[in-house]
Amino acid sequence: MFSYDFMQNAFMAGTVVSIVAGIVGTFVVARNYAFLTHSLSEIGFAGAAFGLFAGWPALLGMMFATSGASLAIGALESGYTKRDNVTSAISALAIGLGILFLALGHTSTTAATGILFGSVLGISRQDLWLLLALAVFVIIILLVNYRALKQLAFDEAGIFLQSRAQKSVRYIFLVMIALSVSISSQLVGSLLIFVLVTLPAASAKYYVTSTVKLMGLAIIFALFGTWVGLTLAYLTNLPTSFFIAMIEVLIYLISVWQFQKNA
Amino acid sequence: MGIIQTKDFGIRYGEKIILSNANINVPEGRFFAVLGENGAGKTSFIKALIGQNQQINGQIQLNTKKVGFVPQFRDITRDYPLSIAEFVGLNYNHGWRLWLNEQEHAAVFSALKRLDLSEMADKRLGLASGGQKQRAFVAQALVQQPDLLILDESTASLDHEHKVALLQTIKQLQKEEHLTVLFITHELKLVSQFADGYLFFENGHVSQGEAHELQSLTTQITHVHEEDEVRHV
Repeated sequence: MFSYDFMQNAFMAGTVVSIVAGIVGTFVVARNYAFLTHSLSEIGFAGAAFGLFAGWPALLGMMFATSGASLAIGALESGYTKRDNVTSAISALAIGLGILFLALGHTSTTAATGILFGSVLGISRQDLWLLLALAVFVIIILLVNYRALKQLAFDEAGIFLQSRAQKSVRYIFLVMIALSVSISSQLVGSLLIFVLVTLPAASAKYYVTSTVKLMGLAIIFALFGTWVGLTLAYLTNLPTSFFIAMIEVLIYLISVWQFQKNA
Repeated sequence: MGIIQTKDFGIRYGEKIILSNANINVPEGRFFAVLGENGAGKTSFIKALIGQNQQINGQIQLNTKKVGFVPQFRDITRDYPLSIAEFVGLNYNHGWRLWLNEQEHAAVFSALKRLDLSEMADKRLGLASGGQKQRAFVAQALVQQPDLLILDESTASLDHEHKVALLQTIKQLQKEEHLTVLFITHELKLVSQFADGYLFFENGHVSQGEAHELQSLTTQITHVHEEDEVRHV
């Protein structure tokens, strides 16, 4: 299996994405940002469609769209509107535009399917380096802001004297989610973002009680799903995203069931 | 000199006057009940005190930078994952270090001990009882050893026994550590057993009084209190 370049690339990309998704996902789940994350991936779809229309790499279009949208959501949510409603509005706008750009760009169905459902087996060595660079960037930014981010995610009500650093961490976090969504959708596609960003972290929280352990276990769950998913896809010739989705959902259901039973 | 002092102090929101002509002086190391109906300006005053309220006039002075705060609302669901110790440590919110250093760790465990939570350090906060949660909230506010501790309706969600227990603990902390406590509450009868003094907000004014005056205040605003009790049930 590893004698093929595309399988090597797929495994390496999967590993990088799983690590980022596990770390970001821990904070996403703690801050109840699952819906926002999903919407960002839809917005990413629009960005990718625009990218293809404009002749850019899809990932670049995706990064611009998701980062811009996340900042817009951040600016709007701090005011008077409910976060979910703001997110719905921006997401609706984005998907509408995405469909328009797909049509205008005469994008092939294969490219569109690739954006929506992922195309991990089509990742080149060059894509891989880009993914890796982005992943390292996201992880460094998150770690530099680790403690402020942790308080924001796990106990926003407890932020009393809001310093400038704490205000900016809100936006930094949103942009890092946007970048992670863009990276992860290379693997599972924008429709299945929560398979890697939300589900592993949501499962982990039923087993461990510290942030470091939550991140660690989320990474393990994401890696397990990705590696086994890729192997099964190789053996069966069925889509990778299908297997990863099934594995992560199964882990989630088991973790909820065990928690209910014990608690 | 008091820890909190105001002179002809007022707060506005646009045209609306929230508070005017406030002249108060809260001495250090005392337990003050902060009373008044919803919307009477208690929260606005606290915000102004820590510099988060923009439209103010007159003088307000807070003579410490070390403030601990226990907010009124916190959404801790059953599946909230962090342990009580980890939750208490969240107040260390600067820098990048993944784990608490030795000094921070010691401060967390000392706060847990003071709130009688040492045995429960590893328990999931989500699965803790209402009383344990409130104690964890207070412990978190105490971690950085504040001079002033502000509690916003911390007893509202507890049953009577746990209300008294929590207030006893806070009273003890106030005495032993020379802490100034501002206890925002509607439960006047309950808090009058513990407070040294009060701030009473009503119709855009605030009055200050001593513990022995709380009884007369009780009769003065009994009907307000009774309404509140009905609301809490």
